[in-house]
Amino acid sequence: MPATQDIPDAVFEETITKAVKEVFSTMLGQPAIYQAVTAPNPLDSLALDHAHVVGTVGFIGSLNGLIYLYLDVKFAEQCAANLLGMSAAEVADLGDEAVNDAIGELTNMTVGTFKNQLSDRGFPCKLTIPSILRGTNFSIEPISSATRRVYRFEIAGQPLIADLLMQPPGE
Amino acid sequence: MRYKILSVDDSKTVRIIIKKAFKNYDCEILEASNGVEGLALATKENPDLILLDVTMPVMDGVEMLTKLKSDPALKAIPVIMLTAEGGKDNVLKIAKIGVRDYIVKPFKEDLLVQKVGRIIDLKPITDAPAKAKSIFDPATILVVEDKPAILAQIQDGLKHTPWQVQGVTTTGEAIDFTGRSPVDLMMISLSLPDDAACTLFRVLRTNLKTKYTPIFGLVVKTDTAAQQQAQQVGFTGLVTKPLDMPELESKIAKAMNLDTSERYFLCDGEMFIMKLPEACTPGVVNEVSTYLKGKVADAVNSGINKAVFDLHEVKRLDMSLIKLLLTAMQTCREVALQFTLVGGGTLVAECKGYEDTRGWQFHETIDIARQSFSKTPAAV
Repeated sequence: MPATQDIPDAVFEETITKAVKEVFSTMLGQPAIYQAVTAPNPLDSLALDHAHVVGTVGFIGSLNGLIYLYLDVKFAEQCAANLLGMSAAEVADLGDEAVNDAIGELTNMTVGTFKNQLSDRGFPCKLTIPSILRGTNFSIEPISSATRRVYRFEIAGQPLIADLLMQPPGE
Repeated sequence: MRYKILSVDDSKTVRIIIKKAFKNYDCEILEASNGVEGLALATKENPDLILLDVTMPVMDGVEMLTKLKSDPALKAIPVIMLTAEGGKDNVLKIAKIGVRDYIVKPFKEDLLVQKVGRIIDLKPITDAPAKAKSIFDPATILVVEDKPAILAQIQDGLKHTPWQVQGVTTTGEAIDFTGRSPVDLMMISLSLPDDAACTLFRVLRTNLKTKYTPIFGLVVKTDTAAQQQAQQVGFTGLVTKPLDMPELESKIAKAMNLDTSERYFLCDGEMFIMKLPEACTPGVVNEVSTYLKGKVADAVNSGINKAVFDLHEVKRLDMSLIKLLLTAMQTCREVALQFTLVGGGTLVAECKGYEDTRGWQFHETIDIARQSFSKTPAAV
């Protein structure tokens, strides 16, 4: 099995980009446009000053880490409506729970597609159950040893941020 | 609803997408949010197919699949994995436990329907209410009988119907036949050697193509032990030998849920005609009574205001037939439908013997009855 530190950044970039594009195109019929890796302090520029829905799913095995998908609340509601084949009003009637579940599933599919590609490259791992964060003016800080990579996408004119946190090998 | 599909996924979103994907098809979607619920529902409902996720709380999909495949009552249910857990190793490991297909999320609804359609016979729901199959529609009946005389008797007795009666002599030939072409009804001789009828019945019930096909047991009238066994196994009904062909025909029509009303009711131009057969058995009277009010209402709705009760084939009158005719007359009066009777000499003579029918007047033919409407508003 190859060592995880040997995986170049470009592979992660290609893998996450393919995953986001495939999931949003297949499930929502929306093309995702990859913008760029944000550096050096990526989350400083996330402008989380208004309400967000954040979906997260981990992967454990020969690679350990998790991915957060950040969506503005309005965009999350649009995604849920599109996914469920309902109007925005119908989704609003169902409440936050329906939006949380839809974003949790979109994150699950994205992280699944990401980790399946890595599994096929010789890094088998399994998914964890999705969870959701909601809030305004918050930031997620990894422990100092974790490697963080942030990727920005634009979908239907709305930003989507994929935040990849990887545990260093052996920890 | 014909088919039941069990969706086992902790995501309500996925379960809603699945329901949406199949909303135009004649199937029922059952839902469970983890493996424990999934197993319980599979045991209770015996679904025709299971769509199974892998990563779920309480009991994951791999554990549920393993338990399902080790349960003799459930292991035949086909399973399609629908999961974000892809990767060659994962797929191979799960496939070894026994799945019919594997769909990796994200997925297109069309692909899901296509893959399910390869396992069960998905039928689209049409906007119009489903029209019941008529007694005049063709159907295939398969008889599994090793005595050629019985097969010949059935074929001869049903030759006036549009049903095609095919015969095979062994269970193997029967299984081959049902695999090749659709069968609307089956009759299996309970006297086949080595309890073959019950074994064949069980095999047919595990096959999706014949799971819901009506199956009659053919048995000698006096062989009560075989009759009891067939009933316990779950045969749709029994046909006793010696054969009573009118009774068999009626049983077949009932088991295939055929609309038999066209035998008795028709609209001829501006006239509604109720035609009764020579043998007005209690079964016939009951059948006609069931359709009567609805058919009269349909005729009136379509603008018809004249009715003829055509009894020219009827030879014998009894109380159940008199009651049916009195009900028919009352039904016509309630909707201001003029009516008259057509009948022959024997029946006319019999009518003189009953208080209720003594005053009935008959025309000899339908044409004469038709002309009578222009002369008098009502003939009775």
